[in-house]
Amino acid sequence: MGSDLRLWGQLRADKAGMAGLLVVAAYFLLAVGVWAGMLGQDWSSAGGDRWASPGAEAWFGTNLLGQDIFQRSIYSVRTAFEIGLVVSVLSTLLGAILGAVAGWYGKTWVDGSVLWLAGVLDSIPFYLFVAAVAFALQGKPWAMHVAMVATFWTGTGRLVRAEVMKIKSREFILSARAIGLPDLVILARHVLPNTGHILLIQASIVFVAAIKTEVILSFLGLGVQDGVSWGLMLAESTQEVLAGHFNNFIAASAMLFVLLMGFNQLSDALQDAFDPREAAL
Amino acid sequence: MNPAVLTVRNLSVQTASGPGQRPAADHVSFELRQGEVLALVGESGCGKTKTAEAIMGLLSPDRWKVTADEIRLEGTELTRLTPREAGRIRGSEISMVFQEPLTALDPVFTCGYQLCSVFRRHRGMGRRESRESSLAMFGRVGFSDPERTFNSYPHQLSGGMRQRVMIAMAMACRPAVLIADEPTTALDVTTQAQVLAQLVELGRAYGTAILLITHDLGVVAQYANRALVMSGGKIVENARVDELFDRPRHPATVTLLSHAAGAVN
Amino acid sequence: MNFALRKLAHGGLLILGVTLISFSLMVWFGPDQTYSLVGKNASAEQIAEIRKQLGYDQPFIERYVSYLTDLFTLNLGASNSSGEAVSNILKKTIPVTIQLMIPGFILGNLLGIALGLLATYRKGRWIDRLINGFSVTSMSISFLVVIIFLQVFLCTPYGLNLFPVRGWQVTGLSSYLLYVTVPTLSLVFITVGYNTRFYRAVFVEEAGKDHIRTARAFGASPASILWRHVLKNSLVPITTRFMFSIPLIVVSGSLLIESYFGIPGIGKVTFDAITNGDQPVLKAVVGLTAVAFIFIQVLTDMIYKLIDPRIA
Repeated sequence: MGSDLRLWGQLRADKAGMAGLLVVAAYFLLAVGVWAGMLGQDWSSAGGDRWASPGAEAWFGTNLLGQDIFQRSIYSVRTAFEIGLVVSVLSTLLGAILGAVAGWYGKTWVDGSVLWLAGVLDSIPFYLFVAAVAFALQGKPWAMHVAMVATFWTGTGRLVRAEVMKIKSREFILSARAIGLPDLVILARHVLPNTGHILLIQASIVFVAAIKTEVILSFLGLGVQDGVSWGLMLAESTQEVLAGHFNNFIAASAMLFVLLMGFNQLSDALQDAFDPREAAL
Repeated sequence: MNPAVLTVRNLSVQTASGPGQRPAADHVSFELRQGEVLALVGESGCGKTKTAEAIMGLLSPDRWKVTADEIRLEGTELTRLTPREAGRIRGSEISMVFQEPLTALDPVFTCGYQLCSVFRRHRGMGRRESRESSLAMFGRVGFSDPERTFNSYPHQLSGGMRQRVMIAMAMACRPAVLIADEPTTALDVTTQAQVLAQLVELGRAYGTAILLITHDLGVVAQYANRALVMSGGKIVENARVDELFDRPRHPATVTLLSHAAGAVN
Repeated sequence: MNFALRKLAHGGLLILGVTLISFSLMVWFGPDQTYSLVGKNASAEQIAEIRKQLGYDQPFIERYVSYLTDLFTLNLGASNSSGEAVSNILKKTIPVTIQLMIPGFILGNLLGIALGLLATYRKGRWIDRLINGFSVTSMSISFLVVIIFLQVFLCTPYGLNLFPVRGWQVTGLSSYLLYVTVPTLSLVFITVGYNTRFYRAVFVEEAGKDHIRTARAFGASPASILWRHVLKNSLVPITTRFMFSIPLIVVSGSLLIESYFGIPGIGKVTFDAITNGDQPVLKAVVGLTAVAFIFIQVLTDMIYKLIDPRIA
């Protein structure tokens, strides 16, 4: 408990990190507002003129279908959080489990197979893999999530594996084994909690990666299938900008940039707080 | 009594981030006289190494706060040097041998290259000349095949040999002062004696005063003229070695002595 | 010898895994081509005939083995959609991708190394913080946003209008520069943040090593410590990152850049093949990437031996 307090104190002192946390929290509130049906509900109605200028009617103007860009960029916050949360939670979980098992049975065939799987997944060009998954799943809306989870766990897995191998040789684990606790209990109760900081940091990194990847995938036509996202807005805007209409592009990139910047600062602050090694050099 | 070559007055070392913490070195003062071997003894963690690194100017200012009224090396006040001036003095006028022969040498350069670069930097020698001086220096510290040592990478040598390379580099420019930080702790017992004897002999031959940092009172008894006892960042005793063994005055000295006796028994 | 054998076995297992996964995804679960090949109102027999030709009636293992055999005998076949020989397509497109990606890839790494060194040299000072801020900013901007922005800014009348909006009509040096500049700038901007971060972390760790303290104790200047000791000791992680990002950048990076700028390279061909279910092309690309990975691993091991005397 004491170390949690110390970490919180350290985070509090990190101005950029706190600003990042505030930004992420503000976005999260927007997402909650959308989920609750209070915000951004009017994102798909094509009522207005196309490419209208910003005004009282549509705060950021309208796109080529006459849809309200402001409504769409707010609704996309929800999309971003859905993708970010699902992908980061699942891939961190998968990485934690596979990494822990590999580390616990280090240098055995179990370890070898996990490393092999990670190596194989890392050797397949990512977008090719996503595209293949999307096709294998025949246009299912969560094909993108599956592909990201299937590849993003490898980094977490390797880190957790290394940490578990380190923890395994510590005295409290040795004594837990000596009194005959089963492996699974030791892993779940004594080993995994000690990798918490890695999981938290990795989850924040994967969150950013997932949102960035969604943009590219939506542009390639492999991303969000129904609904709207900043990626889809940017994909729309590739047509518009050549005709001189920048509202869609500016709104989506600004919303995206501020969230990613906030998350990156938060993630940095977490890394500094948990791993003072670099800061101490 | 010989004149002092190194005078340290009120040297304190603190971490830059936590000024509330106990300082690693607390108002350390002493004099190192020409030609003598002065031992700096104490339990591990008492601040010996930090004191040495502070004198050498090796502590990075974003982590450590170093203050001193005076650190004078033969007429030069070290605390007032620009980085460039300090670089000219380090390795030529004052030099250091480190504790870990495993990691203290750069793994990707040959021993010859690393010794040559000392000669080039401080003596302005060219390729040929620095090579010849290096081969001579390797011979001087007891390598039977200097040519081979010259072309070896550190990982190809034993711990004792690496420490000899280190001594060759430190003594290459015949410095006025050599700080030897636990130079033989990481070595096995027979090698320890050889390397230390070599070091002290070379210091005598070159007229180099040696500050010998150690926790081993056996080493102190055998090689040192005087000893400083350090405890909790402070110098608690400063005495001739025979006095120290006969009439220890500070509890920390007594503890050290009893540990040494325990090790013998 | 033992070492070489282990490497070979490792490489073999990796190829096996990559091909197995890509086979399962792209061929076994991939798009069914029967109906694009048979005519309208085909009879049940015709359909069965086509399926037999395509090998759809075979069990998984047999189809996988024949897939592997084709790959290793370089029997790449012809594209389903254009009928052109796959080897021809590769011969045409790979050089384009290499010309397109090399300048940005190298510049992005060199710039990252330079900024990383500068940040390490001035660690904790304002210039280090500035470089860090720049890296985080670069990491927070989507690749797509960078491309769109640079295209509007450099290629349209709304900006400077200096370069062509899209395409690849390269006939000589000047036209090469004309078409390669904007993609290169995009690639540099998007990779430099990650690269700088990575290289700075490597350099800072190296700068904290014991032998750096030794070099300082013998009077080496900060610049020579950084240039000689830190950089030379960092060559192993630098090489690793550089080498292993080659196949990923070439395929994934070119996929996006080439489809955006309409450049006929391997990335665009691959993407089209995925959307059309053009299996012969996919087989070739996936197989070649896996082989490239193994090749790069072997090459990297050889480079390690050159740059680090401890690796024998």
